[in-house]
Amino acid sequence: MSWQVKSIAERTGDLLPGSPWTAVLYVLLTILAVTAFVTVAGLVLIYAERKIAAHFQCRVGPMRVGWHGVLQSIADAIKLLMKEDIVPRDADALLHILAPVLSFAGMLLVMIALPMSPTVQVSDMNIGVLYVTAVSGLGVLGILLGGWSSNNKWSLLGAMRAGAQIISYEVSATLALLVVVLFAGTLQLSGIVQSQETGWWIWRAHGCGIVAFAIFLIAGTAEINRTPFDLAEGESELTAGFHTEYSGLRFSFFFLSEFLNMFVLAAMASTLFFGGWMPLHIGHFAGFNGIMDLLPPGLWFTLKTTAMIFLIMWFRWTFPRLRVDQLMRLEWKILLPIGFVNLFVSAACVVTGFYFFAQ
Amino acid sequence: MLASAIPTLIFYLLAAISLTLAWSVVTGRRILRAAVSLMGVLGASAGLYLLLDSPFLAGVQVLVYVGGIVVLLVFAVMLTRTTELLEDHPTRLRQIVGSAVATGFFLLSYFMMTSDVFASRTLSALPKNDVAAIGRALLDTGEHGYALPFEVVSLLLLAAMIGGIVIARKPTALAKSEVPHG
Repeated sequence: MSWQVKSIAERTGDLLPGSPWTAVLYVLLTILAVTAFVTVAGLVLIYAERKIAAHFQCRVGPMRVGWHGVLQSIADAIKLLMKEDIVPRDADALLHILAPVLSFAGMLLVMIALPMSPTVQVSDMNIGVLYVTAVSGLGVLGILLGGWSSNNKWSLLGAMRAGAQIISYEVSATLALLVVVLFAGTLQLSGIVQSQETGWWIWRAHGCGIVAFAIFLIAGTAEINRTPFDLAEGESELTAGFHTEYSGLRFSFFFLSEFLNMFVLAAMASTLFFGGWMPLHIGHFAGFNGIMDLLPPGLWFTLKTTAMIFLIMWFRWTFPRLRVDQLMRLEWKILLPIGFVNLFVSAACVVTGFYFFAQ
Repeated sequence: MLASAIPTLIFYLLAAISLTLAWSVVTGRRILRAAVSLMGVLGASAGLYLLLDSPFLAGVQVLVYVGGIVVLLVFAVMLTRTTELLEDHPTRLRQIVGSAVATGFFLLSYFMMTSDVFASRTLSALPKNDVAAIGRALLDTGEHGYALPFEVVSLLLLAAMIGGIVIARKPTALAKSEVPHG
């Protein structure tokens, strides 16, 4: 079965010579759809986090607003929008406004490169993986500037911690990404998905895939500042870290980008290691593959991403927060050497064609 | 007609953004705002690379400069205590040296651009610039390969990294390892 892969940007490009105004309409609709997706996904993730957290702690979580509290996130969002927007005195007002926007932009720019199904991907860049690593750097800058411009020592400390943490863990995450790039032989995200037509990289690569996946998940959790790596906003130490001085709409920008970064991480992990929208295939076993193809690719992507998000939320209620020195030791003395060795072994596997279903 | 006008328009837009932000980097009083403007300048250069049909170069530009260098710069500014540039009146010597360097660099870039050093300015002479071609060229030991410069740069980076570790290492840790126990 061959997949008709076409991104929304390509379809818009096809429309451009014949009917430019249809193309413009298409672009506007895409912007609207992405905005709607970001909002709805954010609300759903916040609700899921609260419910899952509650059940891990033998509570029931939000129950009052709507059936089992499903409308709780909407009520919270309305409350957040009504709040007063405060800029601290003596703070750099311009940077204070710019910081959450940068953070949000970093998340949104990654979002448009994610292949959610053969036809649902805003832009399918040739340099996909490189692009994702590059633009996610904007998020760090937003956190650093937010902490600095608040003119508050807790914020500054939180921002410094976040900066050091994200810069360090970016190295390991990139090393893990490179393993998949080596095996797939392309940087294009849809190409990486299609390279997994005979099986997902996590098990086709003789262990290299599993190690790379573990490194990517740990480093990615650190990069999005979630527990056990939430030193940047550890509320018992720094009140709320870099966003202590934020309120109202600007706080919600930070909050939303933090939750959607979790979605982005889960989607990237499932794209690279679990085949993205590619159904579970075993080599050229046509009967089995045919049964798996009955589920549409978009549903496969959703299922895998949901499972990954659940795993990341599970971490939060399982592991205690790391100390700063433990954090640095984990990265530089444990993850980084393993990542390098893993990359070498994978390169050897690729050169010798020593992996399942190599061409 | 329209198809060629749009890239030109985008070029002038990016150029205007670059120049405005570059001006504010140099003249800005608040050092962190200057760093943010610098980020804008570097991002606009990435846009210019995109316009030149080199997405890989644009990606590397954003990855290295915006995600790496500007973040490190902001980090360094946050570690230092001064929030604003305190030096209002540079000394005469600095003024002279500074303007000499600036004029020299301006003349150098002017002559570089007006001379015919760039052989491949015509579109047909452009080399292939996809990722695979760049990778092969970097590891090619032949006539047009860049294996030697690539290795030299790696060696330089390694030396810089070791130097950084040696400087950053606490002297107490060094002393402890040298003094025997007891």
